[in-house]
Amino acid sequence: MKDFLKVGISGVRGVIGETFTPQLATSFARAFGVFVGRGGVVVGRDTRPSGDMIERAVVAGLQSVGCQPLLAGIVPTPTVGILVRDLAARGGITITASHNPAPWNALKFMGRDGLFLDRTRAEELLDIYHQGRFDLVNEEGLPVTEIISDPTGTHFKRVIDYVDSAAIRQRRFRVAVDACNGVGAVHTRRFLEQLGCVVTMCHDLPTGIFEREAEPLPENLGALSALVSAQHCDVGFAQDPDGDRLAVTDEHGLPIGEDLTVALAVQAVLDRHARGPVAIHLSTSRAVQDVAEKRGAEVTRTRIGEVNVVQAMLALNSPVGGEGNGGVIVPAVLPGRDSYIAMALVLELLAKENQTLSQLRQGIPRYVVLKEKIRVRPEQVPEILRLLRRRHEHDKINLLDGVFVEFDGAWVHVRPSNTEPVIRMSAEAPTREAAALLLQETRAALSPVLGN
Amino acid sequence: MNGLRLSSFGLRGFVGESLTPEVVMDFATAFGTFTDGGLVLVGRDTRLSSPMVQASVIAGLMAAGCEVLDLGICPTPILQFTVPRRKAAGAIAISGGHMRTGWNALTLISADGGFVDPVSGEAVLDVYHARDFRRADWQHLGTATQINDFATPYFAALEEHLDVAAIRRANLTVVIDVANGAGCRYLEPFAQCLGFRLVAVNAEESGYMAHDPEPRPRNARQVASIMPLAKAHAGFVTSSDLGRVSLVAEDCETASEEYTFPLVADHVLARTPGTVVANCCTTRTVDDIARTHGCRIVKAAVGQAFVISTLTDEQGAVGGEGNGSVAVPRFSRAFDGLLTIGLVLEDLAQRGGTLSQRLRELPRYHIVKRQVYGEPRHCYSALDSLQHDPEWSAGAILDHTDGLRADWADGWVHVRASRTEPMVRIISESRLRSQVEARVADIARRLEREL
Repeated sequence: MKDFLKVGISGVRGVIGETFTPQLATSFARAFGVFVGRGGVVVGRDTRPSGDMIERAVVAGLQSVGCQPLLAGIVPTPTVGILVRDLAARGGITITASHNPAPWNALKFMGRDGLFLDRTRAEELLDIYHQGRFDLVNEEGLPVTEIISDPTGTHFKRVIDYVDSAAIRQRRFRVAVDACNGVGAVHTRRFLEQLGCVVTMCHDLPTGIFEREAEPLPENLGALSALVSAQHCDVGFAQDPDGDRLAVTDEHGLPIGEDLTVALAVQAVLDRHARGPVAIHLSTSRAVQDVAEKRGAEVTRTRIGEVNVVQAMLALNSPVGGEGNGGVIVPAVLPGRDSYIAMALVLELLAKENQTLSQLRQGIPRYVVLKEKIRVRPEQVPEILRLLRRRHEHDKINLLDGVFVEFDGAWVHVRPSNTEPVIRMSAEAPTREAAALLLQETRAALSPVLGN
Repeated sequence: MNGLRLSSFGLRGFVGESLTPEVVMDFATAFGTFTDGGLVLVGRDTRLSSPMVQASVIAGLMAAGCEVLDLGICPTPILQFTVPRRKAAGAIAISGGHMRTGWNALTLISADGGFVDPVSGEAVLDVYHARDFRRADWQHLGTATQINDFATPYFAALEEHLDVAAIRRANLTVVIDVANGAGCRYLEPFAQCLGFRLVAVNAEESGYMAHDPEPRPRNARQVASIMPLAKAHAGFVTSSDLGRVSLVAEDCETASEEYTFPLVADHVLARTPGTVVANCCTTRTVDDIARTHGCRIVKAAVGQAFVISTLTDEQGAVGGEGNGSVAVPRFSRAFDGLLTIGLVLEDLAQRGGTLSQRLRELPRYHIVKRQVYGEPRHCYSALDSLQHDPEWSAGAILDHTDGLRADWADGWVHVRASRTEPMVRIISESRLRSQVEARVADIARRLEREL
């Protein structure tokens, strides 16, 4: 789909030069200004070439309804959340399409609590946008844009204060970083050097022209792996363009899988910082659950979507959680995915356990996740879900998002896609064969609807 | 009343009502489309709304793939001067000009530094209305770069154009009121360039207009009150874009803005005779000046773009309007307030004597301006009836360049529908006050009957 524009709970996303225009950005920024009310609004962005243009459009839209733009410039998405609370702003707008390819850009909206808007609040914002009636301010009421100095200062201090930074500094770790030409290219070296690390980087020009695929998946980390082994590093870190997700490689440059970043973080937090339940989203690896349960922590699975995980964590007073895509959340630092707390926790583990990353990896159970999608007609979806509910009525079943069935050491998840006319099936089990079998059985169970 | 006004020269509107970021972006993207993604300069005045408008303009241009040079706070004439020197495809000037607080406007500048001609302007409007925008993809988006080294070449050119040695020798004290507009930060370098003692009034970039920024006697009282205290030789009041100037003499006389153009024209023609371009309701003093120098005068329609394009077509020596605007094409294609002030000072320095004497030497007429209110659609038919009524214009030469103008041996009347407000404007000039008042009253009566 070429002319794709997606307006929804996670913000407004589109392709530059096609659907995502400065006009659209200014209209949404204005609607957001009306939604949060007059006052300061933090604006941050990633390194995409279109960021400068969209930032100007957002600034104008905010000013027109009397909101003062507080410009953070190129900063990680989690930093914007910190700044909103730190500056007592009315809200925040992040200009980033996160892991989407470079032609895309997006606006993401945060409330005054520094959290992304949840479904209810996002719908309210959309209503304001669609009603199109705005109380514009006159010339004397127009606020003056302010530039925030040292925007990442508070964020990094909170992360560094959370972990045992003295222990990390003492080790003078050699760290390789793949910044994906994103916000990390601007900030990560300084951050890691504050932790006493010797830093070597790749994809470290903040151009927004990504020299690797934006998602920190194992197959995209070739350059980082080479750098880790060439420089004899203790660890390799791969960020996504807006610095909220992190993947890790061991000291040989071998990616341990982005779904295990959360497992490492859970281990680090539960062992040394705080006890309490762990929240992860439905398709996060079972390995995270095992690490948590081994430490006596209860595990809650939430709907897909960062804000859903965060809200569950706040409700449960959960000290650590996240998403299987490399998104680590530690609410004591900030209520959102943050690659910086993830890096600090991994370094702390290395320092305190006195193990290499490959040894730490050994301590985490191995699972295999398999995924497939099946093309369906929209009207078939309810019957598919009904069939599965009946089939698993005696199993441990979670209906938050499609049908998620948990077995001993395995799960299978079937849900309709929000973006395509397909259902997505995934299964995780200790072995490839077991996972394949789970998928195969599920598919067979659906044959009354789908045929063979 | 505070509605949006789009024309082939630009766009103006009221902040908080008609002038929204979207409208501005659309217009800027339309202009960017017209330049086919070329290099575009952007400058603004000091109004509180100008940063928001500027952000919108730059975003709109970038979307069309234009490379943008952002001059920041920059008077429109300096922006116009810079366009050809940077080999830009054009520029957008952001300024409310002479309009009161709350208004702002975009003015489109062409590659030669003049105003976009009406045909090209129509093309921009067509793009705007059809929303047929050029949209660059992410790899070809425009970039915006701030520049701040543009004033030096401007002042160097000014120094070369003017007899700076004479101005320095004259040891002048000059009061200038820039209405807290775009001129603020350029006054000191200007004074240094020409070597006069500057008394700056309302030269704070506070964002607030200190007074109605239209240069005319009623807005010149502050300057007038300072003249004796400062022992100043000349005083000037400019618009917020530094395009227009009115004069204040050393004896505190606040001269009508109508006399700026004739005085400068007289001075310029003495040195470089050539065609004079005025609009069709500029004071007849200019006709007299042109005749004195044996120069031709050409009348253009009302509006700065028409005067500048006629100046270009006629290869004129000097052009201007009765609102205090003067352009000298040998220098630039702009109505340039600093150049205007410089030329007045040069005139004083070279001739000796005082500004009040100089103003008295100009042939002066009585001018009466009046408005008759009416719906725009009725205004045109009322004008039409007037045109076909031979009674009032007996013995006059009629001209239809813009509205209706009747010229008698001893004076003239010009009647036209306003482009900005629901009214017909009548302006008349004559040697005799009684006669000019009688003519205006007669036409107003006829129009009121129609409206």
